[in-house]
Amino acid sequence: MIHYYLTVFPVEALIASQLTPEQFGSYMAVGSHKGSAEQLIFCEVEEGFGDVFDWAFAKEKCVAHPNGDPKSTTYLSIYRVLEHVPLQYMKSLFLTTQDGRTLELPKTEYAPAADWKGCALYKELCPVSPLVASRLSPGEFAKYMVKDTHKVQLPAIVFADIRILEQNNLRDSGNVGTVSKLELDHIHDCIGQVALSGAKPTKTVDRSFFKKFTYQTIATGIYAADSSGIIFYPMPDAETLKRVNYDWGRSAYIL
Amino acid sequence: MIVVILIAALAAVSLAAFNHYGLKKIDAGTPLMKEIAAAIQEGADAFIRLEYRIIFWVSLGVIALLLIFVSWSAAVAYALGAFLSASAGWVGMKTAVIANVRVSNTARLTKDIGKTLKVAFQGGSVMGLCVGGFALLGLGIIYLVFGKLLGQLDPVNLVFHKNWLGISDIPFTMTVSSYALGCSIIAMFNRVGGGIYTKAADMGADLVGKTEAGIPEDDPRNPATIADNVGDNVGDVAGLGSDLLESFVGALISAIVLAIYTAYSSHGRADEIGNSLVQKLVAFPLAFAAVGLFSSILAILWMMLRKSSDNPHRELNMTTFAGASLTLVLAGVVSWFMFSGESVANIDFRFGVFSPWLSAVFGIIGGILIGYIAEFFTSYDYKPTQDIAAASLEGAALTITQGLSAGMLSVFLPVALLGTCIIAAHFTAGLYGVAMAAIGMLSFVTVTVSVDTYGPIADNAGGISEMAKLDPAVRDITDQLDAVGNTTAAIGKGFAIGSAALATLSLFVSFLYAQAGAASEGGLVLMLNMVDPLTLVGAFVGGSLPYLFSGILIQAVANAARKMVQEVRRQFKADPGIMAGTSKPDYHTCVTISSAGALKEMKIPAMIAVLSPLAAGFIFGPNFVGGLLIGATISSIMLALFTANSGGAWDNAKKYVESGHYGGRGSDAHKAAVVGDTVGDPLKDTVGPSLDILIKIMAVVSLIAVSVFSKHNLFSYFFN
Repeated sequence: MIHYYLTVFPVEALIASQLTPEQFGSYMAVGSHKGSAEQLIFCEVEEGFGDVFDWAFAKEKCVAHPNGDPKSTTYLSIYRVLEHVPLQYMKSLFLTTQDGRTLELPKTEYAPAADWKGCALYKELCPVSPLVASRLSPGEFAKYMVKDTHKVQLPAIVFADIRILEQNNLRDSGNVGTVSKLELDHIHDCIGQVALSGAKPTKTVDRSFFKKFTYQTIATGIYAADSSGIIFYPMPDAETLKRVNYDWGRSAYIL
Repeated sequence: MIVVILIAALAAVSLAAFNHYGLKKIDAGTPLMKEIAAAIQEGADAFIRLEYRIIFWVSLGVIALLLIFVSWSAAVAYALGAFLSASAGWVGMKTAVIANVRVSNTARLTKDIGKTLKVAFQGGSVMGLCVGGFALLGLGIIYLVFGKLLGQLDPVNLVFHKNWLGISDIPFTMTVSSYALGCSIIAMFNRVGGGIYTKAADMGADLVGKTEAGIPEDDPRNPATIADNVGDNVGDVAGLGSDLLESFVGALISAIVLAIYTAYSSHGRADEIGNSLVQKLVAFPLAFAAVGLFSSILAILWMMLRKSSDNPHRELNMTTFAGASLTLVLAGVVSWFMFSGESVANIDFRFGVFSPWLSAVFGIIGGILIGYIAEFFTSYDYKPTQDIAAASLEGAALTITQGLSAGMLSVFLPVALLGTCIIAAHFTAGLYGVAMAAIGMLSFVTVTVSVDTYGPIADNAGGISEMAKLDPAVRDITDQLDAVGNTTAAIGKGFAIGSAALATLSLFVSFLYAQAGAASEGGLVLMLNMVDPLTLVGAFVGGSLPYLFSGILIQAVANAARKMVQEVRRQFKADPGIMAGTSKPDYHTCVTISSAGALKEMKIPAMIAVLSPLAAGFIFGPNFVGGLLIGATISSIMLALFTANSGGAWDNAKKYVESGHYGGRGSDAHKAAVVGDTVGDPLKDTVGPSLDILIKIMAVVSLIAVSVFSKHNLFSYFFN
């Protein structure tokens, strides 16, 4: 059976594979002799939509090896992939840790949060990757980013909202990843600017934030949006992780 | 009296056997748990077998030397001490390995922290009971056989005798000192070998597995994880057991030897110490130890038989408190019983028959306070360690700097307390009181070792739960038990270091007495001339020895750890299936690397301890050795406190960050804290505990050999 995976972090690609999502995550993170060890976020997609991707090529090339081992990867595209994948074809999202463990985040309908605090930090994952501060809620931010009426816009976007650390209570921060004190000052400056400015709804905090992004920093979850709408992959809380996905929680340094 | 001593020792050994076999009856859990436990057991057994093979040959050499230069009784006593110390370490470690998996399984089956605590404590109690039981059994045998049956404690033999080479000594002092030397040499090898083993494995597992590959603690994909667990058993259990047995024996024999020399030096004086009092001064430390052992047995039984609450910290503290209180009350009665009717004013007993008991009370109070100071500087409930964690936000360099500061700051108060304790004990019961203070600190060692050993058992149980993929609730229970173990270990270290200082001081005084004649011979010159260049230079050299010793130890850990790091990297690269979880790592090679590294590297540090006073004595003579002992003792105590506390503080600062402070796991602060912990690891677990053994070995070797090198040394041949 062939699975189709849209990787959105750290690189954008559409890959056909005979591996299950857990095996694929493990293979991509640690399963080669190159000794790589990196986080990976990918989404399983249904096959057969549109004519941008060569589905016949996938079926021809993604076959088991002569010794019976499954084919790990057949790349179908590595450039401007997300914009050609309709939201309704996207299935679960998977978060793979540096040591190769994978957590499935099921797809859900997006509903605005009741406890919206008025500002947020968003880590854009695909197709671009800045960290931005915004006074827009996730739904508003997604619409803002894919709206074609202003110059800075994208055809589709995947992003995560990031926990904002209290500057004055770093001591009791919890496990929140690799934000240094210096960056925290800058983050709070940027949040202050978007919160106070009536004209500017978003501000870039960091142009890549690539190495600093970890799963510990994710607040509510991950969002995918295009002009047709938005879908939401909620992040389980620590208690649920402990009960259901203990190994992944430890590998992600959340537990 | 001897009957009471032997009954106490045999009762302890019997209870240890009962607890050991009781543990074996508990189910060890799932097939995977049994497989992991078997791998740990195999690694630990293999290391101890190889280590003891080396110790056997070294001991044969020492026995031959004692036989030639001292006496056959000294050689036999050494062999007995070495055998009992090695046995205590071996039995304790075997039991810990059996207990680990059963603690994990009890937590799995019952989900009850109180019941799990009991199994962990039952495992730890075997080590504690073996330490107290074997130490006293050996001394009881020596007291009975050599002291009473062969007459070494007869008045006629409590004077200097010449052996066939013309070397003179008081026979019973040589016999008990040789017994202590046997215990000390085993302790040194177990501490140094186990310390190198455990830290090489720990650093290999952490530096590659956790830091480079990003896999969590105790993950079965880490090739070094079994070696790490083996290390906990050979280092933290066998090493700790032999170490405290040696401390206990060192404290006891220092009082016995001092009593005999004090009595001998009074010969011919108007206030000469009578034989009846001498016999009681010799027997009192053993009687004190016997009541301490009885009290500890009762405290252990009380802990095991009563219904346990869900608060392990309170349970263990209550057990320790019960053991200590009972010891104090019974020892007071023994003190009154033994010294009633004796004229004790002429031996500086200022508070009558209760003087030695009161000195021991000072020791206990001093030990507890030193422990609490250690806890203040190393626990993350207090500011020094929290400051290190806060400094981690600014990077590894400041983490190291802050930890160094905490370690150095932690030295002054314990030393001031020790000084106060020495003055108070000396005021109360003279130099004998100082030795009694050391005995007081360790009189309920059986309970403290039981509590200390329970820590690594709980830690290993947590590792097995993780590797066997047990329910997270199981890990929660073992984590809670482990956290309590860390606190109790800090207090245990306070007792070990404090008692080492006091015992060494007593042995040092005996070293001076051994060169002095009786008052009747006009020879009592109990003085070390610090203006004598030989003494002064000896003190300088002695002060530098602990640094030489520590430097070699750290180098040894680094060498073994480097090989481990390379092996773990090699395995990950050679077989990506290890990380994917589709193939099993080669645990055995990592176990072999740790084992070979420790066995190769442990010899030189151990030899320094034994050979440095001998070399110094035969080249420069006794004054130089006197200075050497003073310098080494002062420098070792400072360095032991500094390394133990700075290492502990770095370790707990990392744990503080990991518990969700300053960004928590995976943050920049965490990376800096991990660097601090890695630097501190060999300091607190290899160097610190070995230093108190170093000074006691040096003191005992000097005491045994002084009669030889005071007459035969190169310096006197050429310059006198």
